Amino acid sequence: MTDIAAPTRWKRLNLEIRDHMPFWQQSIAVAAAFAVGLIISVVILMISGVGLADLWNEFVVFIFTSPKNISAVLVQAAPLIIVGLSAGIAFKARFWNIGIEGQVIFGAIGATLVATYDIGPEFLRLPLMAIFAAACGMLWMALPVFLKLRLQVNEIISTLLMNYIAFNFLLHLLYGPWQDPVSAFPHSEQFESFERLAPLGWQSLNYSLVIAIALVAFCAWLLLSSRYGFLLNFVHSNAKMARAVGIRVALVTLFAALASGALSGIAGFAISAGIESRMTQSFFIGFGFSGILIAFLARNNPLAIVLVALFVSTLMIAGQSLQVFYQIPFAMVQLIQAIIVICVAASEFFIRHRIRWVE
Amino acid sequence: MDFLINWLANIPGFAVPFALGAMGLIICEKSGVLNLGAEGYLLIGAMAGAGSVLSFGGYPMLALGIAALASAALALVFAVLVIFLRVNQVISGLTIVFLAQGLTSLIAGKQGWTNKAFTGLADLDFGPLSDIPLIGPVLFRQDPMVYLTILAFFAVSYVMNRTHTGLRLRAVGENPEASDAAGINVMMMRLAAVLVGALFLGLAGGYLTVVVSKIWVDGMAGGRGWIAIALVIFARWRLWRALAGAVLFGCIEALIPRVAAIGIQVPQYFVLMLPYVVTLGVMVWTSLRKDTLANDPSALGRPFVREERR
Amino acid sequence: MTEIPDRNDASADGGPDLNGSDPVLTMSGITKSFGDFLALDNVDFDLKKGEVHALLGENGAGKSSLMNVVAGLYAADHGTIHVSGQPVSIKGPSDAQDLRIGMVHQHYKLVMPFSAVENILLSHPGGSYEQSLNQMREDIAQKAELIGFDVDTDKPVASLSIAEQQRVEILKVLVAGANFIILDEPTAVLTDEEGQRLLNAIRKLADNGNSVVLVTHNLSEALNHSDRITVMRGGRVVDTVLPKDVTPPELTRMIVGETISETPELSKVAGVPQLKVRELQASRTDGLAVIKNVNFDVRRGEIYGIAGVGGNGQGELVEVLTGLLPVTSGNLYLHEKGDITHSRADERRSFGIACIPSDRQTYALAGGLSVSDNFAISGVLNGSYGSWSRIDRRKMQSATDAAVKKFDVQGVRSRTQRAALLSGGNAQKLVIAREFSGQPGVVIAHSPNRGLDVRASAAVHNHLKSARDRGAAVILLSEDLDEIMLLSDRIGVMNSGAIVAEFDAPADRHAIGKAMVGHD
Repeated sequence: MTDIAAPTRWKRLNLEIRDHMPFWQQSIAVAAAFAVGLIISVVILMISGVGLADLWNEFVVFIFTSPKNISAVLVQAAPLIIVGLSAGIAFKARFWNIGIEGQVIFGAIGATLVATYDIGPEFLRLPLMAIFAAACGMLWMALPVFLKLRLQVNEIISTLLMNYIAFNFLLHLLYGPWQDPVSAFPHSEQFESFERLAPLGWQSLNYSLVIAIALVAFCAWLLLSSRYGFLLNFVHSNAKMARAVGIRVALVTLFAALASGALSGIAGFAISAGIESRMTQSFFIGFGFSGILIAFLARNNPLAIVLVALFVSTLMIAGQSLQVFYQIPFAMVQLIQAIIVICVAASEFFIRHRIRWVE
Repeated sequence: MDFLINWLANIPGFAVPFALGAMGLIICEKSGVLNLGAEGYLLIGAMAGAGSVLSFGGYPMLALGIAALASAALALVFAVLVIFLRVNQVISGLTIVFLAQGLTSLIAGKQGWTNKAFTGLADLDFGPLSDIPLIGPVLFRQDPMVYLTILAFFAVSYVMNRTHTGLRLRAVGENPEASDAAGINVMMMRLAAVLVGALFLGLAGGYLTVVVSKIWVDGMAGGRGWIAIALVIFARWRLWRALAGAVLFGCIEALIPRVAAIGIQVPQYFVLMLPYVVTLGVMVWTSLRKDTLANDPSALGRPFVREERR
Repeated sequence: MTEIPDRNDASADGGPDLNGSDPVLTMSGITKSFGDFLALDNVDFDLKKGEVHALLGENGAGKSSLMNVVAGLYAADHGTIHVSGQPVSIKGPSDAQDLRIGMVHQHYKLVMPFSAVENILLSHPGGSYEQSLNQMREDIAQKAELIGFDVDTDKPVASLSIAEQQRVEILKVLVAGANFIILDEPTAVLTDEEGQRLLNAIRKLADNGNSVVLVTHNLSEALNHSDRITVMRGGRVVDTVLPKDVTPPELTRMIVGETISETPELSKVAGVPQLKVRELQASRTDGLAVIKNVNFDVRRGEIYGIAGVGGNGQGELVEVLTGLLPVTSGNLYLHEKGDITHSRADERRSFGIACIPSDRQTYALAGGLSVSDNFAISGVLNGSYGSWSRIDRRKMQSATDAAVKKFDVQGVRSRTQRAALLSGGNAQKLVIAREFSGQPGVVIAHSPNRGLDVRASAAVHNHLKSARDRGAAVILLSEDLDEIMLLSDRIGVMNSGAIVAEFDAPADRHAIGKAMVGHD
């Protein structure tokens, strides 16, 4: 017999699934995690040589006291909100759309196609660009979702691969047929004034923000009060059960994935027609993963997506001035996002689990 | 003929980062942890490699070691997230990429490593062997890492398939519950797999700066991490097939600038697309013939929880 | 066992010495809770050398939980364990292994692509790989011969039969040197003949000086094949008795506690056939043909019971009937609707086919969503609660309240409470409330009393009977022959994917049993 001199009672750290935590406790946990993330980020920035007072000025004072900066934040937020919605609706169906960048690219290609070949009359040009953008984004999603539903091909990988195919196709267009004939730079020719999203009349704000808000309203209705949203909740919570009670899970998933693709396409349109006024070779960079992280932090809730997108956009605008005045690389913005995601994700663990010592 | 030799001789340099990266990913994913953070580990390895060559004024092999360690340090964050806190592995992987992009450009910028050229690792010279026509430059005029990579494949393949450790690592990725019952510490095994995998990914990153470009530029992994992920899928988690895939991808990458240089008009962006299209094709093909799926780690992406009842 | 390690207890001769000897393993005061649920409540259990000790009880009585504590999978909240008089601490499966405790779980812990040798080698690291591989083959062969097993050690276990996989599991435990061997419901998945072989092997193990715990819910197995019986109910030990001292009715009373006598009442009015199943064949998604030839009719106002040992195609039959699994050939006809063989799952639901699946947490409830959502989903699908553009939450909630009351679903603190928090019986009542809300013409119930206590299961049975009495055709599939005998008006027996015999109630239990285990 193995000789084990053991104590009569033993203690060990035991992990249990917590069935329920009141909403207010959850909110406090998430808010605390957010705060911890921000504090870590501030410490990193201070180590990098930005004083606390400077940070306060850059992130709070300059942004919220200057109409110009407020509008810059809002303009930047519009496409972020849209990609956040795109990621959120796909994740609701447990469809991991990692291919948002590819769909953003194809959205912009669709819009630029209309602009470059002057399709349709001038007054219909913008709506046509938007429709083409949505259709192209959706089209770019069609293959991965078909492969997923028909052949169980993992969508994480397929949508990811589609990003690179889209990117190379974009480069092909910009170094080839769609190269700007005026400047000979590798970007498309500038959109005409009626091909750009019109300014709203206050600072640099333009209609891309209106589009984003309209899409938020649409998604809020779709996910929170329509029958489809009700069914989607079941697909999200337990797909096997959803199928067994007669929900057409494949159809629900298909719709969510295609809507996600269309939303990303529209984001591509909003960036090219609302911010850059043309298609460049880097306009999409960072939007895919930002969208995914925004949706994650907002727990796929359309209204929370707006808040998180505004936060990320504030980071980006402040990040631009940090870059200019303090030589802090712009990638700092991504670093802060990552830190906050890590903190919030860690808090989720404590929301879902309870740790206690057992004897 | 010159064209051919030139091309073939350049392939290993392109293929090594893919091969090392894919190997690191296979080690990690065979234990059941989906790792989408490859690009991040490459970046941190590349920056750490460049940084240590610049700081210590040389010692490229030391720099490669530091690159591997830096990547493992980053992997520790990932491991805590996915293994201990059970955060979704997709989200965690992407977060690691963001974290690495931010960290590398912040640190490299602050330390003044960005855009600063240095002398990296030189090619080996096997004397007369290197001068044999055709095979000399292709086989005997490479940097040491090329040969070490091939050795590493033998070593890892041996460990994975012919040792207790390998058996246990694969078991954890196939059926963590059964492994737990067999007395394997699933979390520790996965932690080890993530860290060891990250060592190889970091080495791949270090290779990019210390051996290939001999300079650090922000974001210079340039999507190679994502290619490595595609490669693992392409190879269905088989080591030797991953090596073959890495060489294939290396062929394409090495070919394009050479073809352009001699003035042949090719739709280069379509050629660059090819690896991804081929990988997608492989995924479709394997899903059509279900039997080849047997090598997929069944528990990939699934966190292990011992006491999840009800 | 060839080598029996030295022990400090009395019986060193290896023969069973049941009344005199001290226990070699004692668990006392074991308590274990999962959240609010008390799975084990101050349980005492002991094991003597050379005995087969049956641990008897219904599903959910706490038998597996108790054994998981001693096997190191669960950490007990309170309690002590002694092995050979020494207090021990079992922090994980490897501690259990060091103490020579080995458990064969109900769900096998095998790595499917690995061979038997590799699976067994997994628990024995160290030494050169090739050598230990060969050593392991020898060890396995030796142990296998000892208890009369034969197993192909080098084929992937995925390609072995269930009985062979079980043998691998037992050999794994033996090679690890266990002499406390716990078998969790080992015969549940076996045919009669295989089960008999296993029970003989278990006896050989005990004769060799090992101590075996036979976890079972089967009365006769405990009575005929064990030396002592411990009965558990509701997380507590009822008593420990010798088989010769109890009669089956006494034992039954100990298992179920209060006897709520359900008496069979047969159908008064059996009408026209509501559902006709003709020459049905179907394959699982992995291609294995599991339903080979199923024919039966269910009339309105009757309960058609389908008896059979688990895993003979019952689960797949439910899936085929509800439209989740396509048929390979054959037809389904629904009264007034005609051929519904190729109708989708949602269409069949709209035709009035309701289903109470056996695994309700996986197939009938979305645990993360509210009680109200879970109740209302079928109504939402048929348009009862608002239009496509707007869900009528208020109507949904008042309907939920009414149903919760009518079907006596307890433990609902609020309508927004997650369904996962309901206990087994109440979750089942919620499922029934939903499935019956559309007045279905066909009700398919698969093991509806699984995991329920006597009271809840009586309530569930009454709901099935009342559905029948209002004219529904009820199909009841169950592995519990008592449940089938109690409720059914007619009984079909399913064996190897076919209905092999049919009986009218009241039927001869032995004849049914024979048909259940018969071979082709």
